Amino acid sequence: MWPQVGRRGPSREAQKAPALWRLLFHVLSPRPADDAAALPAPEAQARLVKSALRSQGYPRPALVQLPEDGSQGSRELLLALSWLLARGPLLERLLAQIRVRLGDEMPVCECEVLASPGPPAPRVEADGCVDIRHLQWLMGKLRFGWRNLITSQQEHCALLGKVHSYTRGCHSDRSLGHLSVTEAELLRDPEGGRQLLRRLESENARLEAALEWRRRELVFWQWMDTVLDACPPEASQPTFLPRIPERGAGELELVARELQALQEELQAVVETRRAAWEARVGGWGPGWKATQRASEEAVRQELTALQRAWERGGGLAQPHGPHRLVRSEAGTLGGPGLRATEVIKALRSQEACLEAALRQLQGQCRQELARLVGALPGFIWILPPGC
Amino acid sequence: MLPAGCSRRLLAELRDALDACAERQRQLERSLRVSRRLLRVWEPAETPALEPTPGPDTNEEARPPARTPSPQDLKELELLTQALEKAVRVRKGLSKAGGRDEAPSRKSRSIVSPATTASVPPRASGQAGRRASETKPPRGVRQTTVPAKGLPELRLLSVGDQTCKARGAQAAKPEPGLRDQQMAPSAAPQAPEAFTLKQKGILLRLPMAFRKAASQNSRLWAQLSSTETGDSMDATTTAKTQFLRKMQSGWPSSRLCAAEVEAEVGRLRKACSLLRQRMGEELTADPVDWMQEYHCLLTLEGLQAIAGQCLHRLQELRAAVMEHQLAPWPEGRLPSAPSSCGGGADSIWSPQLLLYSSTQELQTLASLRLRVAMLDEQIHLEKVLMAELLPLVSTQEPLGPPWLALCRAVHSLLCEGAFRLARRAGRDCRAGLAERGAGGSLRGTEALPAVQGGEGLRTRRGHPPGRGSACFVPLPNSSIFPAGLESPRGIIGAQ
Repeated sequence: MWPQVGRRGPSREAQKAPALWRLLFHVLSPRPADDAAALPAPEAQARLVKSALRSQGYPRPALVQLPEDGSQGSRELLLALSWLLARGPLLERLLAQIRVRLGDEMPVCECEVLASPGPPAPRVEADGCVDIRHLQWLMGKLRFGWRNLITSQQEHCALLGKVHSYTRGCHSDRSLGHLSVTEAELLRDPEGGRQLLRRLESENARLEAALEWRRRELVFWQWMDTVLDACPPEASQPTFLPRIPERGAGELELVARELQALQEELQAVVETRRAAWEARVGGWGPGWKATQRASEEAVRQELTALQRAWERGGGLAQPHGPHRLVRSEAGTLGGPGLRATEVIKALRSQEACLEAALRQLQGQCRQELARLVGALPGFIWILPPGC
Repeated sequence: MLPAGCSRRLLAELRDALDACAERQRQLERSLRVSRRLLRVWEPAETPALEPTPGPDTNEEARPPARTPSPQDLKELELLTQALEKAVRVRKGLSKAGGRDEAPSRKSRSIVSPATTASVPPRASGQAGRRASETKPPRGVRQTTVPAKGLPELRLLSVGDQTCKARGAQAAKPEPGLRDQQMAPSAAPQAPEAFTLKQKGILLRLPMAFRKAASQNSRLWAQLSSTETGDSMDATTTAKTQFLRKMQSGWPSSRLCAAEVEAEVGRLRKACSLLRQRMGEELTADPVDWMQEYHCLLTLEGLQAIAGQCLHRLQELRAAVMEHQLAPWPEGRLPSAPSSCGGGADSIWSPQLLLYSSTQELQTLASLRLRVAMLDEQIHLEKVLMAELLPLVSTQEPLGPPWLALCRAVHSLLCEGAFRLARRAGRDCRAGLAERGAGGSLRGTEALPAVQGGEGLRTRRGHPPGRGSACFVPLPNSSIFPAGLESPRGIIGAQ
């Protein structure tokens, strides 16, 4: 549908509305929609589109009031689409999502994996209460699953390594040097290879259309300006969609609790230390004021740097996104590309941080439990060894 | 039994985690299947057959019976064949003089396209001509007498080059294909050798059409990603910002939208962990002089201030959410754990390279990545469980066996289980004793029987000095209690 957007003229027949609802749904889905029966009904799609646009802050209330059956509203939908296009690199992002992957890719971070969680399993909501042992069992199952995952991953890497080393020197692209599994697969299976080629060619067509769109984009925005001007002025107050209970609020609460706990800890530590310090320094003369100010300045700078790490736009110090695996004997390929050793280093430090955080949390729990249990007379808390 | 709301929430969390794990496993299995198949012997259907029917393509429609080569074709073929023979002779002379050190396995192999293995040249060429879809991959290995002549460079390169068209369409490149045809009659057809990637992988070549498409693809992506500057781009950007402004006009833009709230909460979560990490560093640091001490104090005070600011911001967000009933996208599942990376928009849309030098390295990288993900998830689950279960322990009716069972289960869920794979599994149950000290949770490691014999009794309410000592309690029944076992008394109760 994308190449048509650029060619779409100012015609606004009512038939455009359902197509636009569908388009917006696909654009806004958190997961690239697989063509399947998983697609919800058109009315449901429209509702989800409305909700998604609202949650992203779409400013015009007219959208909310549109009927969901697609009988009207193509102009408003077109405005919504343009709004999404104007805000960010929507086109490029979508193209990247459905990109044909020719290499063996490994993500070096976990963002993408979490962002596309896969089709939600049909969940039968058990309204009943569960025994905590069921939770323990689920937890054990999860651990087992992770163990399996790691073993499978090891095997996969071994196989990849073999394929890469057996096809050394085969690739026409010197910087790659060897075939990937996808490429070897296309050699092994001609039918699959033909399909891959077709997909590649259609992607090339899409990319060319996107580049063409870029060249003509200005005209589109000028036209959208006129469309916006032609809209009747809005007068009504925006109506709110009913609140959908969601874990978003829970996330906020969790973080709030953590910050609260952190602040209290810091407060306790600071009070004692400050008191101790004042006691020591009380008799000191004004001579050390200069050094005091220097320290303050240094600390201020350090903390500002720390704050930058999480602020909006804070530098992505870590490698990001999927990378194509290329096997090269150490030192031969001096070309561009991330080195595995660097990634390993970064991951190890991340691992250490997370382990420390987890241990700290577990310790907190232990303390809390001991406190709760210990408050009762006559009971002893016995821990298994190693805790 | 847990209350309904708690059950539902915890079940949802754990099931989400299990689903995610299962999904990863499924994807991994898919990739494993493909890779394993690649490393096995490639099916005979994929290696060239000697009979006139080429490859796995359904040959029935490929061979219209009416098609017979014209005399013109045959003549051309004859000419080309002669030229080829001459070329072979010349090269043979050259190569013998050259004395290459090819791998022995290579000398006796060449890769041919399946369509050219037919011993009936015109037929085969006709079929090959039809099978002009360029993705004809090189087929396996066929042992012919050609290689025995020691001509390694006769390896057929880009197989999909429509090399087999005898219709003179490609006068430029008929050589490789027809050469094989020429060889075929002279060679006694031999049984095709099995093709394995291990032995002959080096000889593979990608089809030309694919290569073209792939290079065009990367070129287009590079164009798309390039940040173009120029008048047209600037004009477009201005037009866009103006459009956005006009869209927004008239409506209060100070209202936060749910997506922004989510993003901010994520940033604050990251802030919390960074602050905590820094606090840990400061607390464990050992100042050598008063200046460092002062520095440490100031840092901690600064951290406290920042934590306060973050908390304040969070409360603002909470108020905004409450007031405006902001709801996030309902279908989307919030990432169960904060990825430690920024997750910002990437302006580089095509994948970059990751260079590794050995399988060991790759495995380390992959397993580290998984461990980080696992730890992320574990931390998230830990927080969720803490939030749900600890209040239960404190509010439920104590002294009953169910409560004791709850305590024990909560402990096993929350406090145990580092996911370290190398660690010894299971709990052997020499009991350690806990001390009810000043808020400390302690572990003694003496085995109980030894303890029972020697020391005297101390009540729990005493405060034994130091961290390492333990309290001892006479146990009414058997001395060793596996922490996981159900007993009528639950946790040891001494009364």
